[in-house]
Formats: sequence, structure tokens, C-alpha cells
Amino acid sequence: MITVALAKGALLKDSVTRFAKAGLDFSAVLDPDNRQLMVPSSCGRANALLVRNGDVPVYVAYGQAQLGVVGYDVLREQQMPVAQLVDLGFGGCRMAVAVKETSGYLRAAELPPHCRVASKFTNCARQFFDELDLPVDLVHLTGSVELGPITGIAEAIVDLVATGRTLKDNGLIAIEDLFQSTARLVGHPLSLRLDRGNLQEIIEAMRS
Amino acid sequence: MTFQPAAGARDLNPQQVERNQVLSERLASVYRVWGYEEVAPPRVERMSTLKAGGGIDSKDIVRLVAGEPLGLRPEMTASIARAACTRLANRPRPLRLWAVGTVFESKESVDGGISIEENLQSGVELFGVHDIAAEMELLSLLLETMEALELKENLGTSLLIGHTSLMNLILKPFCKVQREIVKKALINYDRLTIETLEIDKEVKNILLSVQECRGYPIDVLTDLATLIGEEKIILSLKRLFMTIEPIATEHGVTIQLDPTFQPHFDLYSGIVFQLVCQDNSAPIVIAKGGRYDELMNRLGAEINNQAGVGFSYSIDKLRELIPQNKDNSTSSGSILVAFSSDKRLEDALKRQNELHKRGLRAIVELNHCKKRDEAISLLAKRNCNQLDWVD
Repeated sequence: MITVALAKGALLKDSVTRFAKAGLDFSAVLDPDNRQLMVPSSCGRANALLVRNGDVPVYVAYGQAQLGVVGYDVLREQQMPVAQLVDLGFGGCRMAVAVKETSGYLRAAELPPHCRVASKFTNCARQFFDELDLPVDLVHLTGSVELGPITGIAEAIVDLVATGRTLKDNGLIAIEDLFQSTARLVGHPLSLRLDRGNLQEIIEAMRS
Repeated sequence: MTFQPAAGARDLNPQQVERNQVLSERLASVYRVWGYEEVAPPRVERMSTLKAGGGIDSKDIVRLVAGEPLGLRPEMTASIARAACTRLANRPRPLRLWAVGTVFESKESVDGGISIEENLQSGVELFGVHDIAAEMELLSLLLETMEALELKENLGTSLLIGHTSLMNLILKPFCKVQREIVKKALINYDRLTIETLEIDKEVKNILLSVQECRGYPIDVLTDLATLIGEEKIILSLKRLFMTIEPIATEHGVTIQLDPTFQPHFDLYSGIVFQLVCQDNSAPIVIAKGGRYDELMNRLGAEINNQAGVGFSYSIDKLRELIPQNKDNSTSSGSILVAFSSDKRLEDALKRQNELHKRGLRAIVELNHCKKRDEAISLLAKRNCNQLDWVD
């Protein structure tokens, strides 16, 4: 039995559509009345695990799910040992450094050394500032990161930006991008090596 | 305050310990009939030995606070190889050794701290055989131990085999910097990284084909020969697989050659393999091993002794794969020796001693029982099925 880890939230609808094209219909997970966390495909060949975005690489890395769909941002942040198989193209956004519009900073390198930077993605932020050779104090927040510069807890934030509207509405401006992110089909490396063709068939169908 | 073992450390209950012993003994019985001698390498070693000449990253080793750089062994091969290169250097080759013991791996825990992953391993090492005869003996022994283990049926066991020379052939067209990126991507099965590499399109297509090239060994070797050329190593591997294949089939194991497969520890310089079972959920690697001639060189072995192959089983992983009814548990089938108020504990102990001399498992009830019925009611509680009433 194939098990697929799907992220709840923004990526779910497109993930279901792409798996449907590969012959696995998980549309039951889109039913607003669905409370099941493990949903079988209509053909009975596979199960979908409905998990939080950040848990997709965990289920795949441990091999409990052979395949999964998750944003590149989560993969970069968690660095779990999963195989990146296909760039699915949807869920596009960018990881960016943002500051108060009135701050006057135009580039991340202009931030003062040891300033505070708030982020949900502290590993990505750490790597970025290390490469800039700029020491910063990271403040880990789990949501509403935009409040960081507004309240004064941090001078800058590192966060995902899709349209930029949330930043604008909160008086912030993105000054530098870390990377672009899209949804990725990921797999458990050992399961892929032991695959007798079932997984490969799905991967190929999702590639097209 | 709660008293818990350190994260990742094993704290086994009696049944788990008993199962470990049963499994270790099943494996040992096969090693012995193949002429392997038991050694007991140290748990604590100098970091220089544990790092196996750069094969093992120091972040994988649990380091000890001591005057000199010491650590707990993350695997046993380096320690046994060190012994083979030093105090056992004069023993005639082939030298066949086996060991069972605990290994400790350092892992980063979810909260960013360090956790210790403790595992019981049992494995063999064969020293001093340079040609493919060593691999033939080692893999035949591995497959024979599979039968002795009496694992659950229908586990879909696969023997996943790679070879560092095959990987080197694949990486030959790349410069040193690219080589590491390509190697990492191939090992991690990271197709997207390969697709985005800025390299010649034809070379990229070969890499993508190689990534998907795995399966029945002879077919894979034929495919590889067309992709990267007919090389000596391919002919040598064909001979190995011709020998191993029938033995594997006999034991219900599928052999799969996978040129891009490499294990986590970079100890090996030749064949590398993992024995993988598929129970209900994720695949479980129950044994792994390979050839490590380079390591022997780094440990200072003489040139004609720079040859070693070995494998080790993870007993902790095997424990979950034995059927319950095949568990040689001795927890049931015991005799409870109980005594009445007319007798003393000394009488019961004397009786227990008589039973022990007959080879029977007997435990004594330390307080007297008023009636025989009271003693009978204690049988289940004491995990016994028979009463010896001293009255």
C-alpha cells in the first residue's frame, strides 16, 4: 500500500489535483465535513495522511509515507533526509527579509550587527546571515511575524511573501529575497530504491 | 523530579533482553560453524580510531569528557580492524572474527540538543582476502544467518548492493567540487538537484538514467556497461552475482544492484550492502556491511594485509521482526516452590536447589502460605505454571 503525506492548508487542493492526474483520487480530503486524518484513495491503492505542513518531511524521512507534497521553504528549513523528486510549480512564494518601510534599510547587509531578526524559519535565516557574514540575534516566533518590527521586538523579519499585501498592510517592505519556493514532490530515498515500479509510475505521471 | 534514561538510550525490560539474547545466540551459532572467533572490542576508543581515518564524521560520535579525545564507538568495524592490524597482525589470514555489543550514535534531537542512539549489534569481519572470494563468503554467510534468525514470513527481504567503484566510474567526468554535489544528490536520490545542475545536457541525461538504473544485478550491469563503458569491475561483479543469486533465491531474498546506493558511514571502498525488510510500514535496514580495504590501509596494515570485509546486524531492529510464538521465552514454564506455616524458608530453598540440580526453573515464595490453595492462587502472579508444595 502506498502512503502519501499531504500538507493541510494552501497546498492541499493543488496537491489533490496533481495526484488525481497520476491516478490517485484523494478528493475526499477536500470535503469540509471530513475529519479523517488517513484517507484512502478511491481506487484503494493508496492512503493519504493529512498532516501539518512541517510534518510532511518527517513522515517521509521516517518512511511512514513513501511520497509527500511540501513547500521548498519547509524543506530548506528542516533539512530532513528526503529525496526531492519534482518541482510541482504551484504554491509559489519567496522567502524574504523585510523591515519597516520607514527604517531606511535597502539591503540586508545594511542591518546593524547583532540586531534582532524575528522569524519562523530560523535555520534559513541563520544560513542567510552567516553567508552575509552579518551576526544577528534570531528571535523565534511561530506566527504573525510581521508584528516583530511593529512592536520593536526585532528590527527585521525573515518570512514567506506571496503577494506582499500583509507586509504592506503592516507598514513593512521586503528588501532582499533568500530564495523562491514552490511545492515539491518528495520521497523516502530507501523506499524509492526498493520500489518495483509503483512509485515511479506516480512520480512520472506527476512530472508531466 | 523524574528519573528517566538519557534520550535515545535503551532501557530494556526482561522480555526484550531475552529476545536479544536469543537472536544474538542464533547469529553466533552460524558464525561459529563458519569458523569465526569471538572478540570483544572496547566500547570506548580514541577519537582517531573511531573516526576511521575520516570515514565517520565526529558529529556522529558521542564524545567523552576526558584528558585525551575519547568517544563511544558508533560501530564496531574500526575497533576490530585496529586489533587485526596491530595485536592480531601476525595471525594467519584469512582471519575470521565476530563480535556482539552495543554501539552509540550521536544524533541531533528535535530541540536542537544531542541525543544518544544506542543499538545492539552483532556482526562478522573477514580479514586478509583481497579478491572477490571474500564477498562471496560474506554474502553467503549473511544469507545463511537469515534462515537461522527465523524471522516472520513475507517480509519481502531485499539485499541492496552498491559498489564504490561503480560510483567512482559514474563521477569520473566531474571536477572535485561538482563531484561532491553530484555524489550527494545521487546518494540522497535528489533528482531535482541533478536536473538543475549546470552541466552538459548529455552528461545530465546519463546521470538521470544512472539514478533510475537498479534492479536485477546482471541486467543493471549490462545497462551500466552501455552507459559508462565495459569496465573490469563490471565483469568482476557479474561473477559475484552469478554465485550469490541462487543462494539468495533459496533464502527468499531478492538481490538488487543499485549503483548509486551508498551508506551513511563513509567507511567502505568496495562493495556496500544493506539487508532490508518490509514489515507493515516503513522499510527496516536489519543488516549492513561492505569492503573496507582503505580503512585497513589507514590503520597501518601491511600492504598484503590491507583487505577487510564485514557486516553487522541490528539486533534491536530484528527483535520486532520475530514472530511472537517463535520467541524462546522461558518466563513461563516455571515451578513455584511454596511452603506451609509448618515449614521454614530453609526447607523451601533446599527443595528449590534439588529442582535446580535437575535443570528445572524454580522460584521460591519467600513467605509461607496458609494453605495449598493460597499458593496455587499465586501461580499466575509469579508467572509459574506448576506448584511444588513443601508441607
